Amino acid sequence: MTHGPQNHSVIVGVLAVLVMAFLLGRGLLSLLRSAQARRRAASAHDLGSPVGGSAPSPPTAPPRMNGHGGGRRHRTSPPSAPDGAIVRVTGLTKRYGDFVAVDELTFSLDPRTITGFLGPNGAGKTTTLRLLLGLADPSAGEALVLGSRYADLDQPIRRVGAVLESNDFHPGRSGRDHLRVLALAADLPPSRVEEVLDLVDLGPAASRHVKTYSLGMRQRLGLAAALLGDPGLLVLDEPANGLDPVGMHWLRTFLRSFADDGGTVLVSSHVLAEVAQTVDRVLIIDRGHLVADALLDELAGRGRSLEDAYLALTAGDPS
Amino acid sequence: MAQLRAELLKLRTTRTTISLLAAMIGLVLTAVVLHGYGLTTEDLDSASKQLTLLAGWGVVLGALFAGLLGAMSFTGEIRYGTIRPTLLVTPRRGRVIAAKSAASMLGGIAFGLAATAVAAVAASVALTARGVDVRLDVGDFALLIFGGSVAAALWAVIGLGVGALVRNQMPAVVGLLAWVLFIEGQLIDNAPDLGRLAPGPLSRGISGMDPDILLAPGLAALLLVHYALAAAAAGRLATTRRDFV
Repeated sequence: MTHGPQNHSVIVGVLAVLVMAFLLGRGLLSLLRSAQARRRAASAHDLGSPVGGSAPSPPTAPPRMNGHGGGRRHRTSPPSAPDGAIVRVTGLTKRYGDFVAVDELTFSLDPRTITGFLGPNGAGKTTTLRLLLGLADPSAGEALVLGSRYADLDQPIRRVGAVLESNDFHPGRSGRDHLRVLALAADLPPSRVEEVLDLVDLGPAASRHVKTYSLGMRQRLGLAAALLGDPGLLVLDEPANGLDPVGMHWLRTFLRSFADDGGTVLVSSHVLAEVAQTVDRVLIIDRGHLVADALLDELAGRGRSLEDAYLALTAGDPS
Repeated sequence: MAQLRAELLKLRTTRTTISLLAAMIGLVLTAVVLHGYGLTTEDLDSASKQLTLLAGWGVVLGALFAGLLGAMSFTGEIRYGTIRPTLLVTPRRGRVIAAKSAASMLGGIAFGLAATAVAAVAASVALTARGVDVRLDVGDFALLIFGGSVAAALWAVIGLGVGALVRNQMPAVVGLLAWVLFIEGQLIDNAPDLGRLAPGPLSRGISGMDPDILLAPGLAALLLVHYALAAAAAGRLATTRRDFV
């Protein structure tokens, strides 16, 4: 544009400022909105009603599990690896430079059990789950689900349901649309979206943007996404965060029924009291090492609590 | 194919796409009107000048916003964490990048069509209002709209590649804006032989602008296709090689 007039660059400058103003304006608007949402959440909390107000409080409804584990009835025959283990982790190691986040981890999960995955913050729980689910590549060793790497599974969402973070949603998308996107990508029928919404009792709130959801509702939306493919294995990272006692009871009943129905659950948690009431088996990891792999009854009991055992096994041990 | 339908639904189920489209149309109108009144009549007395200095803003802004759309289709998923559910459903990451490229291209075509059509109408109205003859003929307008749509489609893929490489939304968006609004202008002014090979000037070339400096439409399109392919390949590599935490 060499033959452009002198004021050309001025106009380009004005345009650039307008673009910046637009972006900045959007940023400020969203800041403003989140501040409003926080205020609303605070006042809603004072009134003892869920965030966003109008919808009925979902966690108070009883679990919709009518004896058959809800939506799991049309599940295909429970698959298993040749040796019977649902998950087999062997020598799993993840290094970030000199830091070893997960060190030679070896364990396996059997069907029909709920396994608690415990350890202090930063012990490597989340990294292990990321490696198991193919979001990160191990430095050494392998993590197999039903005999294959997660990424090599055919339609993995029909085998494994996972919730890694409690807030992996676009705040401006409705809960139902979030599930519709995933169902489309997984080639699942739209009816499945309504089934899982029903299962976690989010139906009434499904059309609202996720930013109006309470933390407990987000947890249940994540669980709904994990259940979309009617999987036989559930992997949950800290699912108890943000759940009130009713929601907690609901989750516990749900997981028990899921396992009794032939499902397998791996659930990481740092809420020991909660774990003690829910799991059959415990894996404890500390600084990347597996320090315990035992049935709950073996670890706790005979006068010793899970907390005692945990403290003795991890860095939390004062002695 | 399932992943592509999912990506298209993602674009339709938040306000991001429609806000970008509205901002783009607003800026196209502003740019064309400002230039339509700011330029002297001598600056607007030929078809080439009317295209380059007036209607061409539709091409520039269409390509820029298509690039932003492509970039944000990836960086948005990083920002809000939805990349995790996305990859849990479709762990073959190359497939996700391919679907995002295709969805961004379709979105880019829509953005390019809208931007150039609005620019064509606004330019004609502005010129007529000032009493300047519209020198652009049907062929010029057709090349403007067609070329602008092709350029925007390719820019959407370039944006996706940038987004997949950078991952962080703010740097990706600011980088694209700075590149298009400042760096490419400097390149064209100071080193035209190099600057005309940059993706922004190429998209203007595709629409037949400034033939003295810019590449001819066919050649410009060919080169921009290669940029898009390179960006998609780089984005794919960055996505398959790097962990998601």
